[in-house]
Amino acid sequence: MKKVLLIFLILQTLGYSPLMMMQKSHADEIEGLSAVLPSQIGVWTAVPKDRIYDTDTIFSYIDGAGEVYRAYNMRSCLSRRYSSPNSPIIVLDIFDMGTSEDAFGVFTHDQDGSPVDVGQGGLYRPGWLSFWKGKYFVSIYVEEETAPAKKAMGELAKVVASLIKDQGSKPEILLHLPQEGLQSRSIRYLHHHALLNYHFYLADGNILNLDQHTDAVLAVYQRSGERAHLLLVFYPNVDKAAEAHKTLLLHYLPEAKSTGAVLLEDGKWSATGLKNKFLTVVLEADSRPLAEDLLREVLQNLS
Amino acid sequence: MDAGKKVITRRDFIRVGSCLTVGSLMGLPLMGRVSARESEKSRVILIREKEVFDSRGQLSETVLENMLDEAVTALMDAPGAVSAWKQLVKPTDIVGIKTNVWFHLPTPKPLEAAIWKRLLEAGVKKENISADDRGILGNSVFERSTVLINVRPMRTHHWSGLGTLLKNYIMFVPHPWMYHGNACEKLGAIWQLPHVRGKTRLNILVMLTPLFHGVGPHHFSSSYMWPYSGLIVSRDPVAADATGARIIQAKRNVFFGTEKPISPPPLHIAAASSQFGLGNSRADQIQLVQLGWEEDLLI
Repeated sequence: MKKVLLIFLILQTLGYSPLMMMQKSHADEIEGLSAVLPSQIGVWTAVPKDRIYDTDTIFSYIDGAGEVYRAYNMRSCLSRRYSSPNSPIIVLDIFDMGTSEDAFGVFTHDQDGSPVDVGQGGLYRPGWLSFWKGKYFVSIYVEEETAPAKKAMGELAKVVASLIKDQGSKPEILLHLPQEGLQSRSIRYLHHHALLNYHFYLADGNILNLDQHTDAVLAVYQRSGERAHLLLVFYPNVDKAAEAHKTLLLHYLPEAKSTGAVLLEDGKWSATGLKNKFLTVVLEADSRPLAEDLLREVLQNLS
Repeated sequence: MDAGKKVITRRDFIRVGSCLTVGSLMGLPLMGRVSARESEKSRVILIREKEVFDSRGQLSETVLENMLDEAVTALMDAPGAVSAWKQLVKPTDIVGIKTNVWFHLPTPKPLEAAIWKRLLEAGVKKENISADDRGILGNSVFERSTVLINVRPMRTHHWSGLGTLLKNYIMFVPHPWMYHGNACEKLGAIWQLPHVRGKTRLNILVMLTPLFHGVGPHHFSSSYMWPYSGLIVSRDPVAADATGARIIQAKRNVFFGTEKPISPPPLHIAAASSQFGLGNSRADQIQLVQLGWEEDLLI
């Protein structure tokens, strides 16, 4: 401990702070990537010069959407524009998310579109191609889609993916999800209450006490024509998980204490269970057996 | 989280709305609270003209100006545009025109010019008129304003579900991010601030080329815009927004071929009615007057 303190004091004396050094390190990495990005894609040429945004300046670039990236612990964003006469501008944004888990997470924020074989998972919707690889989330966007622009976006994605050398792992919490009936494109990995509400509106208050230190996964299941939403949350410690469970029961499922699964007002079923640091909630299932089966299977997976 | 705090949950919505669709949320009398203005219907003019865009998609300034005139005249039940505007403002007024500069879909300059023109014709002095968006807090006309005209295009929005007339006033506060919680539900509070409250005489929701879906960090693709060619005009911002929101929802359902709720749900529209008493969000509390082109009306 004394040694750590000594190093800290020396760095402070030299005018560095550990936080500043971390930020600089991320900036260095993204600048390194900037140096090797292609200057030409088809007939499109890179517009000087690249811009790099941090967690504060990102708002000046993408307005309120910046909060999504901050909610996934974004470190920096490199933006490059490619232009060509009489063609729409192609905008490349590379987000350094700090970890591959959060790069995957921000990728799952928008799962619409057609799969594209690029990076560790890619999707294409009209005018927008996104993929994740390692700790990077990459967005390639064109205001007005044309066939040549779409082709160039695909080519650019492949080049950028090849320049990112490291593969990354998906969040460990995904391993606890039952596989039968899991709709893989419905998976959302997140930390924040606001993002949970974005995908599945639960409550105006943060009744699950979600924050930067919690890992949550939301997913849809389809089994024998029945459907359910499942939420699994991992807390930093047992006490926080128990507290969240208590708050959930108090505000959302008070009947669960006596009835187990709860029949909601729209005829769907909800059920919840707590195991160590994990809180499981079947938010809405078409039937009681489906709610109870899913809950039981998750709790078994956590054993 | 405070155990004693009253929390509004999904189950509250289910109880009163049967399902969590935007349609139910937009008209929802949240938690049994009642709009201060529920007893009177809000008049909303929806005007559309196909010819507002020519065959090359260029905006016709003349048609647009006529649309504005016709809508305001109908709204005020006046014999003509100038007399309608004279009901809205007096020569001594100081008028801030709150626009929106989001570069993908800004308030059209010709519309801004048409508003200027009518304000001048109503007798307002040129030096007492200003159009602004992000600089309004330092704008001397806005600081002294006695009247606000609110004009912006309708679009989906990452955090609030919809970029609405209600949301357009977020620049009246120094820290907009403070209103981002719960899908920007509390936006109505801004309208109750002393420098804003009671000043808005006219709301114009631009539905010329609305954005009905957003993708990616930039939340924009021209693939998700369509030439609806309309304006929604009302004294009541909530009623205008609720009407626009229903059109956006209908367009999403048609385009995607299934019910595709606006995400996140634009809670701030219903909340502006139920929590802040700014107007009426429920369809049965809105007197909708439709003028002009009727094809693919979506409402």
